[in-house]
Amino acid sequence: MTNPTSPAPLTDKQSQVRERIAQRLGSRHRKETMFRLMGIMSVTFGVLVVLVLFTDIIGKGHGAFVQSAIELEVDYDPQVLGIDSVSPETLALANFDAVIRRALQARFPDAVGRNNRRALFSLVSSSAPYELQQQLQENPQLLGQKQILWFTADDDVDTYVKLFADNKRGHFERLSEQKVAWIQQLLDSGELKKRFNTTFFTNGDSREPEQAGIRAALVGSLLTLLVTLALSFPIGVSAAIYLEEFAPKNRWTDIIEVNINNLAAVPSIVFGLLGLAIFINFFQLPRSAPLVGGLVLTLMTLPTIIISSRAALKAVPPSIREAALGMGASRMQTVLHHVLPLAMPGMLTGAIIGMAQALGETAPLLMVGMVAFIVDVPGSITDPSTVLPVQIFLWADSPERAFVERTSAAIMVLLSVLILMNTSAVWLRKKLERRW
Amino acid sequence: MEMHFDQHISRQFNEDLEGLKTEMLEMGGLVTSQVADAVEALANADSALAESVLEIEEEIDRRELNLDEHATLIIAKRQPTASDLRMVMSVIRIARDLERVGDEAGKVAKMALAFSEAGSAPRGYTEIRHIADAVRNMLNDALDAYTRFDVTAAMDTLAKDTQVDMDYSSAVREMITYMMEDPRSISRGINVLWILRALERIGDHAKNICEQVVYLVKGTDIRHSSNSNNS
Amino acid sequence: MTATTTITTTVLDVGEAAPNSQKPVEHPIMDTLTQSTETVGQPLCESATLRMRHVNVFYAETQAIFDVSLDIGRNEVVAMIGPSGCGKSTFLRCLNRMNDTIEGCRVEGELTLDGEAIYGPKVDVVPLRARVGMVFQKPNPFPKTIYENVAYGPKIHGIASRRADLDEIVETSLQRAGLWNEVKDRLDKPGTGLSGGQQQRLCIARAIAVSPEVILMDEPCSALDPIATARIEELIGELSENYTIAMVTHSMQQAARVSQRTAYFHLGKLVEVNDTEMVFTNPQHPLTEAYITGRFG
Repeated sequence: MTNPTSPAPLTDKQSQVRERIAQRLGSRHRKETMFRLMGIMSVTFGVLVVLVLFTDIIGKGHGAFVQSAIELEVDYDPQVLGIDSVSPETLALANFDAVIRRALQARFPDAVGRNNRRALFSLVSSSAPYELQQQLQENPQLLGQKQILWFTADDDVDTYVKLFADNKRGHFERLSEQKVAWIQQLLDSGELKKRFNTTFFTNGDSREPEQAGIRAALVGSLLTLLVTLALSFPIGVSAAIYLEEFAPKNRWTDIIEVNINNLAAVPSIVFGLLGLAIFINFFQLPRSAPLVGGLVLTLMTLPTIIISSRAALKAVPPSIREAALGMGASRMQTVLHHVLPLAMPGMLTGAIIGMAQALGETAPLLMVGMVAFIVDVPGSITDPSTVLPVQIFLWADSPERAFVERTSAAIMVLLSVLILMNTSAVWLRKKLERRW
Repeated sequence: MEMHFDQHISRQFNEDLEGLKTEMLEMGGLVTSQVADAVEALANADSALAESVLEIEEEIDRRELNLDEHATLIIAKRQPTASDLRMVMSVIRIARDLERVGDEAGKVAKMALAFSEAGSAPRGYTEIRHIADAVRNMLNDALDAYTRFDVTAAMDTLAKDTQVDMDYSSAVREMITYMMEDPRSISRGINVLWILRALERIGDHAKNICEQVVYLVKGTDIRHSSNSNNS
Repeated sequence: MTATTTITTTVLDVGEAAPNSQKPVEHPIMDTLTQSTETVGQPLCESATLRMRHVNVFYAETQAIFDVSLDIGRNEVVAMIGPSGCGKSTFLRCLNRMNDTIEGCRVEGELTLDGEAIYGPKVDVVPLRARVGMVFQKPNPFPKTIYENVAYGPKIHGIASRRADLDEIVETSLQRAGLWNEVKDRLDKPGTGLSGGQQQRLCIARAIAVSPEVILMDEPCSALDPIATARIEELIGELSENYTIAMVTHSMQQAARVSQRTAYFHLGKLVEVNDTEMVFTNPQHPLTEAYITGRFG
């Protein structure tokens, strides 16, 4: 009997081995620390990049959410307007331009000469007459009276106010000295102010930056996504269920599987070309419409959804299937009653990933004409429209300085939609994924 | 069927079973020599030898307890089945028989002590000698058959018990004749009868051991069966 | 880097120097396995519920079961034992055609349940599986409530449509499975929240809810602790009054405790079938003997 309190002496082999282990311990610990450091560095790098990206975008884009406006006292003089009553017909003919010109002239009587006056009139946006028209349409009793109103400033004025007015350092070459003097005068008197930019969320695209908004693109994106989701989710899930649960495992299903995987790797523009050839040229579907865009994006997201749905189905423990089959449930009952509810959270995640991918896609949509200049907010899936990423692409291409901040602002909106979608996906999954 | 107790996956189990068998056979050897010694003490009126036989009896009792304990442990730890189970069961039963044989040898040794005090070899000694040789051989052969798992040898040995029984009855008749002829020899004659009786019982126990050999190898229990009585 | 190389080699040496006696000893009995598929003992019986004759099972090219003939009598418990991969589970799964789900699995031979063919072009597996229930190795309750677990079978087979009938079936099934008292207050709780042994009894309740004739059990206790195992074994004893039970087990003691007959499978062949007492005290085939005494397996 050995005494348990005093361990038996080590054999030579044992002590040799222990020595070797002790020798290498230091280097093993070093390597482990290195490995961990590398991981931390990678994560830090990733977080840093995201932070830089976000600061850059927010830094550039936050300005787009405010818009300079000029306060003017307008006189709804029926003579100047050239109307004597307010009705849709008369409003369409009324000369609101003149009213605004008079108001500006009244504010700056020193502006004389043709060039000076034109410069003066360009302080406000070309949309100012429409704003005035709307004001009068809503309040017909104002005819013949005076009112103090805020008018959207021109994009050059806006840019100057946002970028140059504060530090007075730089020189904005698009504005004359005279104009800068007027702007300063208005700023000092509080008649030129930055107000919240509702136009950005209510308007469609425009050549004038101060009138350009993302509404049309946002609605276009949502409509396109709706079509994509409505088509790709049921098709993808049914395909996945058939392939995973019912299809015999033979060479044909192998070929199909390989092809689905290949399809997921096909460049998206190819889907665009396909969409152009099939949906527009062959089926004669309307160009630039969310319907066609959605169809093309469906083609693109299907492989993603099928692959992730199959993975979700595979992850359902086979014991559940056995239990149901052993009870005498048919294949379909087994799938519908037991397998699908368990696989649903995973399928939804796949669908959301596919949707996010589709939301950010530009290339295939260019091919089906969704790159058009769309001013009107689309009302249905057959109306011509554009989507957020294409809108971003278009604005990024525009020469006006004021479009820079709008591009970033549109990116912010796109990212918000993405985050919203992902959050709702997580919430949905949490809700469906009951813990058993 | 061939018997292999050294081919379990668990080597410890092999060793346990082997140990149990060895322990039992050692006990058997001890008991066999005890029987021989008791008869020897009787023949030579050797009181010292008779005393040693009685001492060994305690050793045999102790060994029986040990065997029981070890067999119980094997059952508890290994839940033996089939031939393993029969092996353990037969060892337990044989140990019991061996212990009884030890008791009978002790009886003979006590008689030997009594005779040595009286100072003469008893009449009927040749019969005792004859039966003693026969049962000693039976005991030896039975244990041999067990060692070799030899059913044929066991059946042969088992058959010899009938002869021992016959010899015993004729010896008893002879002793009765002696006692009728000489009433003074009755008390001594009864002692001789006791010895003969003890020896005959040893033969029965040897027979039981043979039956266990058959049980171990064939799996059939022939105790109390006609097979056992007639052959 | 010579230093590291030496170290590695030495470490390897240490490994090789370790006692290398864990290899299973080649057993002479293994050689005695003949090519014959003849079964020792009493594979057949009168008034059999399940009758299997000359069953061969193939997985694609490989044959898993070789010419097995076996009867399982009414309300009899038959245990199937044998080393891993001997085909006992495969054979069990033939009885309710669970092998159908395995790609490339082919069953030949004559299998009947009360005289009706189990395999055949016209046989529908759905009613068959309602008559031949199954309990699996790992407790696999549905991720639903206890009530729904038991009610599932009656629902899909349309046995009970009214809630009251269903309630009664659930209660009696749970009572028979010895689970009612433990779960009657939490029928709406998930079945997966029960302990392993309770889950397995829930699976048994689920199986008997459709009143099958035969219950197949595929190592029903191998994932359970000894107490839960004892409860299941007790339950099997009670169930055998009403049901015919065929079970596969790795525990020979369990086979000895619960079954009336024991079948020993070896490499896809049915080597021996006999009364359980006989198999465990005096097996007739050397392979059975070698297996149940722990010579190989």
